[in-house]
Amino acid sequence: MSDANIAAENQLQMKPKEKLLSKKNKRILADPLSDNNPITLQILGICSALAVTVQVPTALVMSAAVVFVLTISNVSISLLRNKIPSKIRIIVELAVVATLVIVVDQILKAYLFDISKKLSVFVGLIITNCILLGRAEAFALQNKPWPSFLDGLGNGLGYAMILLIISTGREILGSGTWFGLHLIPQSFYSAGYENMGLMVLSPGAFILLGLIIWGQRMISKKFEE
Amino acid sequence: MHKNSYVFFFAAVVTVTCSLLLAAAANLLRDRQQENITLDIQKNILASAGIGSENGQQLERKEILDLYEKYIRSKVITRSGEEVSDKTVEQLDPKKDTNLLPLYYAEDDGQITAYIIPISGKGLWSTIYGYLALASDLNTVKGITFYKHGETPGLGGEIVKQWFTDNFKGKKILSPDGKLVSITVVKGKVQEKIAPDEAYHYVDGISGSTLTGRGLNKFLKQDLETYEPYFEKLRDQKTE
Repeated sequence: MSDANIAAENQLQMKPKEKLLSKKNKRILADPLSDNNPITLQILGICSALAVTVQVPTALVMSAAVVFVLTISNVSISLLRNKIPSKIRIIVELAVVATLVIVVDQILKAYLFDISKKLSVFVGLIITNCILLGRAEAFALQNKPWPSFLDGLGNGLGYAMILLIISTGREILGSGTWFGLHLIPQSFYSAGYENMGLMVLSPGAFILLGLIIWGQRMISKKFEE
Repeated sequence: MHKNSYVFFFAAVVTVTCSLLLAAAANLLRDRQQENITLDIQKNILASAGIGSENGQQLERKEILDLYEKYIRSKVITRSGEEVSDKTVEQLDPKKDTNLLPLYYAEDDGQITAYIIPISGKGLWSTIYGYLALASDLNTVKGITFYKHGETPGLGGEIVKQWFTDNFKGKKILSPDGKLVSITVVKGKVQEKIAPDEAYHYVDGISGSTLTGRGLNKFLKQDLETYEPYFEKLRDQKTE
């Protein structure tokens, strides 16, 4: 079957004229990864981005939790968008997000106990992460479930990407390991190399994040004055 | 615009749905969470006694259970220092048996290598739970661990970190004439604050969490005092 046929069939299955991954939808998914990244461009979700990035595993679990909660909350709010009374829409959004976050927290406590102990309050604090309420208010309330799903996924992955970059930098520079594997050979330490204590502390995350934002704006040439 | 009655109806539906979801999740996962908590407590008891985690490596589930089974024993004592033989630590109900205390000890080849007592009390925001292990002389601290707390991450939360708990190792709870003085977390560094001949009762504080340290000092002393009658007896037996 040629591509054109598949596309045509997709169009038939999907009553609306739009393809599943139309140009517009692709942009919804890809924009938050680079040009409209929630952390580096909108500067949202900084608190957790600094707190859980000392090591890669915690950052990865935190990212997965945010992707999961953001995607599902976006879809559910989009499904309810015509039913939610506008007077209480914020509290309804918050209830949906909070429920999902607590479920995730319970699952982590049951299956990834050590990491959930390290993440401590920060899983619970996903509820107050501005990315979630921001996407619910700005996107999911006005859009259909599928684009909302993509938007949630895209923003979640955008958040995850920055977290992983920062935690990789912090773990390698701060502890000489990556994912718990020793990267810096013993001979370096014998020669006088030392782990950067600064990277383990929050200022290390600030510095790395600042460098990433700088780099990104240098490349994209997008400046806000 | 929706009518007010609809708003109430909608809010009620959302509330009920969310609470049902949460109740289901909590119920389904409870057993496994409980298992994790028990395992975590066993891991902390082992760590406080310095068994199995010398290099700070992570132990597997099975290893923890095996080591715990092999080394850790427990018994119940009263506040006045008597041993109770007809009850085990597992049967203790903290609400009813206020006069009874659990005591863990590590045994290797019939030799008791450490006595481990549960410690808990208020920090700044929360109740902190942990274990303190004393060497067989019932004076030298073998190790301390904290496994549950709600202190500020990065400040009071640092009490769980190894750099802090390692400070307790080798400190003494008794003064040279045998009186209980406990161990105190100072504000700042021991080297700068305390005379060298008293330094073995003090550990470095965590900057930014003086109040957590104060809470810790208070409950550490209280808990040691409750066990002191029994420990005193043991010490007397040893010197005889």
